[in-house]
Amino acid sequence: MTAVETPQAPRKAREHGPERAVRGEPPGWLVRLRRQKLASYVILLVFAVLYIGPLLMLVTTAFKTLPEFFQNPTGMPESLRFENFTEAWNEAQFARYLINSVVYTTVATAVCVVTSVLVAFPIARGYLKGGKYILLLYVIALFLPPALIPQFQLILNLGLFNTRAGYILLFLVNPIGIIILVNYIKAIPRELDESAAIDGCGYYRFVFKIIVPLIRPAIATVTVLHAIGLWNELVLAIIYLTNDDLYPVTRGLIAFEGLYGANWPPMAAAVLILMTPMVVLFLFLQRYIVSGLTAGAVKG
Amino acid sequence: MIHRSYLFAKGWRSATPVLLLLPGFLLYLVMAVGPSLATAVYSFTDATGIRGIAINWIGFENYDEFLFRGAASRDNIAALRRTIYFCLFVTVIQFGIGLLFAVLLNQKIRGKKFFRTLFFMPVILGVAIQGLIWKLFLLPRGGPAAEFFQLFGWTSELLGGQPRQAFAWVIVVQIWANAGITMVIFIAGMQTIPNELYEAARIDGAGKWQLFRNVTWPLLTPAVNTNLLLNIIGSLQAWQLFLVLIGYRPGTQVLGYLVFAEGFGQTSGSVASAFRQGYAAAASIALFILVLVFALVTHAWLSRREKRYIG
Repeated sequence: MTAVETPQAPRKAREHGPERAVRGEPPGWLVRLRRQKLASYVILLVFAVLYIGPLLMLVTTAFKTLPEFFQNPTGMPESLRFENFTEAWNEAQFARYLINSVVYTTVATAVCVVTSVLVAFPIARGYLKGGKYILLLYVIALFLPPALIPQFQLILNLGLFNTRAGYILLFLVNPIGIIILVNYIKAIPRELDESAAIDGCGYYRFVFKIIVPLIRPAIATVTVLHAIGLWNELVLAIIYLTNDDLYPVTRGLIAFEGLYGANWPPMAAAVLILMTPMVVLFLFLQRYIVSGLTAGAVKG
Repeated sequence: MIHRSYLFAKGWRSATPVLLLLPGFLLYLVMAVGPSLATAVYSFTDATGIRGIAINWIGFENYDEFLFRGAASRDNIAALRRTIYFCLFVTVIQFGIGLLFAVLLNQKIRGKKFFRTLFFMPVILGVAIQGLIWKLFLLPRGGPAAEFFQLFGWTSELLGGQPRQAFAWVIVVQIWANAGITMVIFIAGMQTIPNELYEAARIDGAGKWQLFRNVTWPLLTPAVNTNLLLNIIGSLQAWQLFLVLIGYRPGTQVLGYLVFAEGFGQTSGSVASAFRQGYAAAASIALFILVLVFALVTHAWLSRREKRYIG
């Protein structure tokens, strides 16, 4: 019963695993498992190619000369041309765009997180009459129509169109952030409030010195969620900012594309310059970023 | 405004919590809720995007024009249909791929962390970078995608080709960009399923498929619900990759893009062209109703399905 097995024989043998093991062959379930694993790897690798392919194309293009790119867009670069990076950096004002993006993101995120904590804490504790309805108002917001046009009219009539302040004003609230914070604060024992109050700790100090350190994971999640959305925002930057000096990196990148068009090597270098810090940050803060970007999902 | 139960300490009995809550809450009312509701009001006016020009009440004029008048209304209806197609394709495929990733990466497998990171990474890049990466990859002459299709003798201008093809490519990029979120939500759902259930089923002789069909799938219901709703709502509203990848091109626009183009004068590519914000508001209410109907129908269907599972 070795070489001349009928096709059905191995399947039968699998049901008698111990016997196969005694014969020194791997047991049937192991064979099956390996086959499944192999299939898994094949599928994963095919998708990995689809995910890496566009990134690889970006990297190789960023190191080519323009003629080389036109002759052979897909191949590897013959030599590493770092000038694309300096050219991109100098031609578009990426240093300025980066500063703008950093300013918009830090200011708006800081204001958003601080005010959100101050809204979320009394609601979570039930210290306000009608706090439940306020929370409901934040939940409903997720289903309201887009605010795009009246928001534009508002900013326009405030005279804040095409200003830093006007742009930042668009990003100061985050309903999902409030919901995350409220849920997290609810898990912190109330006795803490009472003993703090008895010890004479003021409200403001209590919230920022005692509650905030305790809800740090939730704050990290909200910060990351808000900051990434803001950093990547393109449409509002197109609508509200017409002055090149005020562009964040996303808008600057699209403007650069408008100027450079088919000149892909410096274009690819620019994309790479702006992408790399994001990717590095992602690798370090993956846990918070993943929980932040999927936080909208916990509502169920 | 302070609640009765809030009486335990003298320092806190003041109006401090309310005062400190107000900035955040007022910002929310003024910047989000107010404008959101005002969209409906604006949809009945002839508002423009120019400061100081009088705004007149024109009733249902905008809706009438949007749905029934001339060639533009036919384009609008086509855009509406396209929005629904986009939603169907993106939702179904992204749901499938996300689930596949999650199933494959929720087993003991080498490089699990690498694959998860890789599949999730596009999510953080944002539309500008996502779009530009794919614009390069889909280079019509000599680009990797074009070369690949040439192997099968198929030539195409890809994003610059027939509107249908360009549209299909945006679907691909949209899924590439967002499948990671679907995957992560599924994985989180799978990790809440207790291992004992699998062991018990295995002892009863269940195979891999049966384990998935009878244990994983029903217990994954919350993640399924979340993903379906997020995908449907997200893809109905998504249009920004169209902006980066192909611009405002007849035969490819979806409703969201239409709102932006009409409201902010991007139809002809020149900034100085008409800002028809009243009309755009009407279009965005149309989109909102579409999203609402889809979300409610899906929600109703999902809760029926959930009852069937739980009993």
